[in-house]
Amino acid sequence: MEIAYFLGCIMNNRYPGIEKATRILFDKLDIELKDMEGASCCPAPGVFGSFDKKTWASIAARNITIAEDMGSDIMTECNGCFGSLFETNHMLKHDDEMKNEINEVLAEAGREFKGTIDVNHFAQILYNDVGLDKLGELVANPLNLNVAVHYGCHFLRPSAEIQIDNAEKPTILDELVETTGAKSIPYKDKMMCCGAGGGLRSRDIDVTASFTKEKLDNMTAAGVDAIVEVCPFCHLQFDVGQTEVNKMYGTDFSIPVFHLAQLLGLAMGLGADELTLDSHLIDAAPALAKIVEEADKSAGE
Amino acid sequence: MSVFKRLKALFTGSQNEVVEDISDEQVLDQNKSDKPADLKPKQANSNTKVEKKADSSSSEKTEAKKIEVAEVEESSSKETKEEKVKDTKKENVKNTKEEKGDNMTLLNTDENKLTLADVDPDFTAVFKNAGIDSVEICFQCGTCSGGCPSGRRTPYRVRQLVRKCLMGLKNDVITDDALWMCTTCYTCQERCPREIKIVEIVKMARNIAAQNGFMADAHKATGSFVIKTGHGVPINDATMELRKRVGLDELPPTVHSFPEALEEVRKICEVTGFNDLIGFNKETGELE
Repeated sequence: MEIAYFLGCIMNNRYPGIEKATRILFDKLDIELKDMEGASCCPAPGVFGSFDKKTWASIAARNITIAEDMGSDIMTECNGCFGSLFETNHMLKHDDEMKNEINEVLAEAGREFKGTIDVNHFAQILYNDVGLDKLGELVANPLNLNVAVHYGCHFLRPSAEIQIDNAEKPTILDELVETTGAKSIPYKDKMMCCGAGGGLRSRDIDVTASFTKEKLDNMTAAGVDAIVEVCPFCHLQFDVGQTEVNKMYGTDFSIPVFHLAQLLGLAMGLGADELTLDSHLIDAAPALAKIVEEADKSAGE
Repeated sequence: MSVFKRLKALFTGSQNEVVEDISDEQVLDQNKSDKPADLKPKQANSNTKVEKKADSSSSEKTEAKKIEVAEVEESSSKETKEEKVKDTKKENVKNTKEEKGDNMTLLNTDENKLTLADVDPDFTAVFKNAGIDSVEICFQCGTCSGGCPSGRRTPYRVRQLVRKCLMGLKNDVITDDALWMCTTCYTCQERCPREIKIVEIVKMARNIAAQNGFMADAHKATGSFVIKTGHGVPINDATMELRKRVGLDELPPTVHSFPEALEEVRKICEVTGFNDLIGFNKETGELE
């Protein structure tokens, strides 16, 4: 199996440990991740989608044409990128008028959207194509962690088009997380947004922080050791945003944040170094200490 | 306990106990009043001020009502229960009447009066022509606003927005800062009983606001990063170092490694008019 690997911005340009973990994981799964040379920003749905739909769809379509030329379906690990690429691909496959309009723009850049590939999310591929059993076989280091699973918004929604899982009561991520031995803990308003999307983080950070604080309050009340998400933008919001919440509200939240790829990395026995966990603003050490402690305990038994 | 004391209690520690005591039917109210009063974001736009005032008075009302319920549950004797409820009700009526008097927008001058001159049929047509004709079948049930996480903390009222777009109240919609308070989380759209593409409506309304010059500098900056570097969040030295450390190429195999690919992105932004929209000067390579 071959996949066109769409990087995006925040993962590769801020949290490279997510990319590293993914490359190692897919190597072990014997799935080839092919680089999409010259791919750009998806583009950022909050700004480009809000400012000009045509520009948004044109830049997204250009990225899609790179994978079309490679003859491979796209995989992305970011909900925002997934939103831009999936929605554009879906729209241009179903709306000829729009397709023609976008192709007129792309022609200026020497490209053409054909509609020959699909856009998939990382978690969707792990669940549907790899499967929980095969993923479980890779777990060398079972994680005894209580985890708050955060789905984010654009992974499952709009569900009418995306059709991966139920948008209100999904289980796909919880099941994936639990293959590592971690436990997904229910918490209030689990499906709520992190607050960063729609251009809000850059425009009205106090509103964004207020969303994030509500999520952190609810996660804390459930007593979790870590947050796991599948979107580098949510990742950034729970990492950097958590410190912003602490400053704005005088709180002392310190819940470590892992992208699903990093969590799987830990379960495969990769080190914090390789996962660049040391670059997170929120110290991952308490969660790592718990993993080691539990592992020692079970080894001693 | 006087109304004042009870209200004061809301802002001190006893709030949580009250919330936990309430019965199941009150759960819907809970979300609304969970937030501390100081969470309201600052609003630069004068249009939203009236709405904000009205909003805070209504949340006080629900809070007062909640206490009433909590008290009913707390009291042991049935008779005192009834007396107390009556008392609270009386005080509440008095209270809200005074507040309403200050906030009744209809008593203000003509500035808030809506006339046919405010209606722009072309504005409504934009949504219908963009394939979001489902806007027409909205029956204003409010399910969207009810589930909206932004509406819980900002003046953003998605039901109102949908109605204004259908009515053609272009100026109202595009000048309102609240239009930008939506995180596009799709909760409204997922729950809409008429399956109206609400997020598409929000984005289209923003497109028109942008065409009319309503764009935040921070957003223009993100747009300009994409034109300059191909990434909304470009690489930095610290991440290049990290990438090298874990054995990845210092630069990702994106536009960062392929200058000719960046030219394609730039060409697109030029052809679609995006440069002009955000005021990006190709010659200087900066925003104007």
